[in-house]
Amino acid sequence: MKIKRHDFLRSICALVLILGASPIQAQIDHQLQLGRIASNNRDSITTAVGAISDAKDVAYYALMVALFNGELYLKNNELVIIGDMQEDDYGDTLAPLYTAYPKRHPILNDEGKPLIAPLIDLEEIDSNRRIRALIQPYLTQMEIFHPDSGKRRVAVETLGNRGGLGAVPMLRDALEKETDSGIQSLIRVALGKLELTHPDPEVRLNAAKALGELNNTFVLSFLHARVEPDASGNIAELDPAVQSEIRDTIQWLETFNQIMVVIQTAFVGLSLGSILILVALGLAVIYGQIGIINMAHGEFMMVGAYFTFIVQNICLIVLPVAYIDLFFPLSLPVAFLTAGGMGLLVESLIIRRLYNRPLESLLATWGISLILVQLARTIFGDLTAVKLPQILSGGFEVAPQVLLPYNRLFIIGLTVIILIGLIAFFYKTRFGLRLRAVTQNRGMSACMGIPTRRVDAIAFFMGTGIAGIAGWAMTLIGNVVPNMGQTYIVDAFLVVVVGGVGKILGTIVAGLGIGISNKVIEPFAEAVYAKVLILGLIILFLQLRPTGIFPAKGRDE
Amino acid sequence: MTYYRPIIVFLLFGIVAPVLNEMGLLSDTTLNLWGRYFCFAIAALGIDLIWGYTGILSLCQAFFFCLGGYAIGMHMLLKTGTKGVYGSALPDFMVWNRVEQLPLFWEPFHTFTFAFILSLMIPAVIALIFGFLAFRSRLQGVYFAIITQALALGVWLIFLRNETMLGGTNGLTDFKTLLGFELADPASKRGLYIIAFVTLFVSYFLCQFMVKSKLGRVLIAVRDSEHRLRFIGYRVASYKVFIFVIASILGALGGLLYVPQTGIITPGRMDVQASIEMVVWVAVGGRGTLIGPIIGAVLVNLLYSFLTGAFPGTWLYFLGFLFIGVVLFFPDGLIGLRYRIKISSLKRFLPRRTPAPVAAESQD
Repeated sequence: MKIKRHDFLRSICALVLILGASPIQAQIDHQLQLGRIASNNRDSITTAVGAISDAKDVAYYALMVALFNGELYLKNNELVIIGDMQEDDYGDTLAPLYTAYPKRHPILNDEGKPLIAPLIDLEEIDSNRRIRALIQPYLTQMEIFHPDSGKRRVAVETLGNRGGLGAVPMLRDALEKETDSGIQSLIRVALGKLELTHPDPEVRLNAAKALGELNNTFVLSFLHARVEPDASGNIAELDPAVQSEIRDTIQWLETFNQIMVVIQTAFVGLSLGSILILVALGLAVIYGQIGIINMAHGEFMMVGAYFTFIVQNICLIVLPVAYIDLFFPLSLPVAFLTAGGMGLLVESLIIRRLYNRPLESLLATWGISLILVQLARTIFGDLTAVKLPQILSGGFEVAPQVLLPYNRLFIIGLTVIILIGLIAFFYKTRFGLRLRAVTQNRGMSACMGIPTRRVDAIAFFMGTGIAGIAGWAMTLIGNVVPNMGQTYIVDAFLVVVVGGVGKILGTIVAGLGIGISNKVIEPFAEAVYAKVLILGLIILFLQLRPTGIFPAKGRDE
Repeated sequence: MTYYRPIIVFLLFGIVAPVLNEMGLLSDTTLNLWGRYFCFAIAALGIDLIWGYTGILSLCQAFFFCLGGYAIGMHMLLKTGTKGVYGSALPDFMVWNRVEQLPLFWEPFHTFTFAFILSLMIPAVIALIFGFLAFRSRLQGVYFAIITQALALGVWLIFLRNETMLGGTNGLTDFKTLLGFELADPASKRGLYIIAFVTLFVSYFLCQFMVKSKLGRVLIAVRDSEHRLRFIGYRVASYKVFIFVIASILGALGGLLYVPQTGIITPGRMDVQASIEMVVWVAVGGRGTLIGPIIGAVLVNLLYSFLTGAFPGTWLYFLGFLFIGVVLFFPDGLIGLRYRIKISSLKRFLPRRTPAPVAAESQD
């Protein structure tokens, strides 16, 4: 009965091969090859493996893997694959059995349960190093059908580079079965590359056109090699029509590449800019309100990040696994309130006594930052990480190779939301009105009955709270470490200095300006020199606008 | 009343200590340690001039300190010559980095005179250009502090790189001789100690001469009411640039004397925190007086040596609380504290003698 099923499946398989594959595919006699393997004679096996490898027949995948791993056995002259071995009460080794060809299925016993047979009843098919070496390339090629998408990617690329025209039918087969659109496009690229070496100029012409439509810039060097003279002065592509088509494709792909570089740079710059804005916002709120640069700002970020870490760890215990990612939204208010609360504490204990002494408060807040960093190091050690929520992993693929990671997009979005929220707070609420009044003229506001000290305290709370949110967002793109606050902080100071006092718009413009120009310079100079160059530009800029882009107007200077 | 005091100090540190060391009563390590403290104190004097007297917070003094240090370090490394680990005429770190030829900018450091002049001139020129740009556009207060901090950060990052040919993270080390003296010889160390002390001593009196002069009065006026000074007709920016340059030279002088004594200079000495720590030495000792920064630099570094030995891990806590405590509770530092006690208890008997008073920073 089993043999019958094999026959049936084999005929279907043959049908698929005939319909889906081009005539280049070598047809092999399956019965013969299976018989050769079942003979358990090394020479026969070698012959069979060679034939199967040449035919690139995917139906033998399971069998070849088993042969490679020494899991292929004979049971009553029938090829079977054994599963995980186990021992019974008598010390005999048992193993569940699977069919070997054309697919790996569990073999069932009469009761419909998986058949488990003692190993002693089976005869192992011997393989040696030579056979395994023969199997290896076949397995690598067949990985284009592997369930793991990463392996499929690699296999497709290998085939595209080294497969030769013989791999074309296999790739077409894989293209039909492929569900992942990214890999589909990769397979098309591989096909295009292989077909550029086809003897028929018509096929080559179509391949060149197809490559132009696929927008994959990695084939550029390959295309160049086709139409440009090699070391000995020969040109691979001789047909003029195909040549010009390839040149067109090259031209388009190079244009496309430039567009993508611009998009990428703009995105990376926007991402850095939004991070800088996020970090600098809280700083700017405090500076605008009380004229103090809070040197410990980065450390309030760190506090937010560590509380995110704590909430995550609590959630790991409390929440069921399926909802574990909920820790991320849950930790947002925690990060805001804890960082803000600590800010409030610091304000009432220390900062409050230092109003009107901005330089000394610089030193005092630096002291706070030292203590907080050391505290974090004592409590948490040196390296902890917050897991990236599932929904934010991966990215938006604009084109092959141009990925906009979701976590970066999320931070850009978050920055926009916080900006809108802050502007609404400043211009639409009663408290925002008071805040603006105190910024403009402290004395007059006090006379009008505004409790300026309380307004200051709340501004400090807001500023450090926003730092906490920034730290929360930072867990998406880096580890949580005690000195994580230092990474962006000096740049954030510069954003505040360039942006000017008390204007959110200034922070936005300065943040984006510094972020984007950093990333525009980076391709030409190392990141470090880009940073130094930016500093030089800032100093020159301050020659023109010493009080920032949007200076505070009025006589109270 | 106190003319004899400097003489006592000079006798004690300049003559008695080295003699005790010679006799073996004072260990080489202790003497060497104090020699380094004096170098820090020289740099701290510079900060005091610009921050304590002129009211400008500069957060890049450690950068100037290291410029001086690197310059003399480069000279000493070239003098090591083929006596290095690899026996090459090039410094060891260049051998690791597979550099074939000495970079051009290293050439002048072959001769001591050039190295010495450059070690003071490079910081001075940088301070001149940077200060001119910053003060011309009237960068003030917090803005200036932030910009100098960014400068310190940027330069620190550059010095960390390997391709800038300054030794990267490992800095410069393995010095053997200076002006023909073996650095490992205790007598050379003693000599360096004496030079450091004498330099500090002389710098102190030069600074004293400067702040007592009319120039010093103008500097204090810049601190207390810059606007008025400008309206009277003083070129405030020029005074600021001048004092910034002087401070940078003092910083470089400190570094120049420091490196032969420690035998190593790394970018770690010039990071953002290093500069701000120097400011705290001044704050602890008492800004606006010249003896304050010296006492502060020596005291804080003594504490550092003691705490890192006795209670490792507590130093940063201590430093943090020191920052906050000084600013909150004794803004005039130890010297101010002493005067405050004296004045409150002995007010009736003493004539009004206070340090150049530190007015609350006015908001103008």
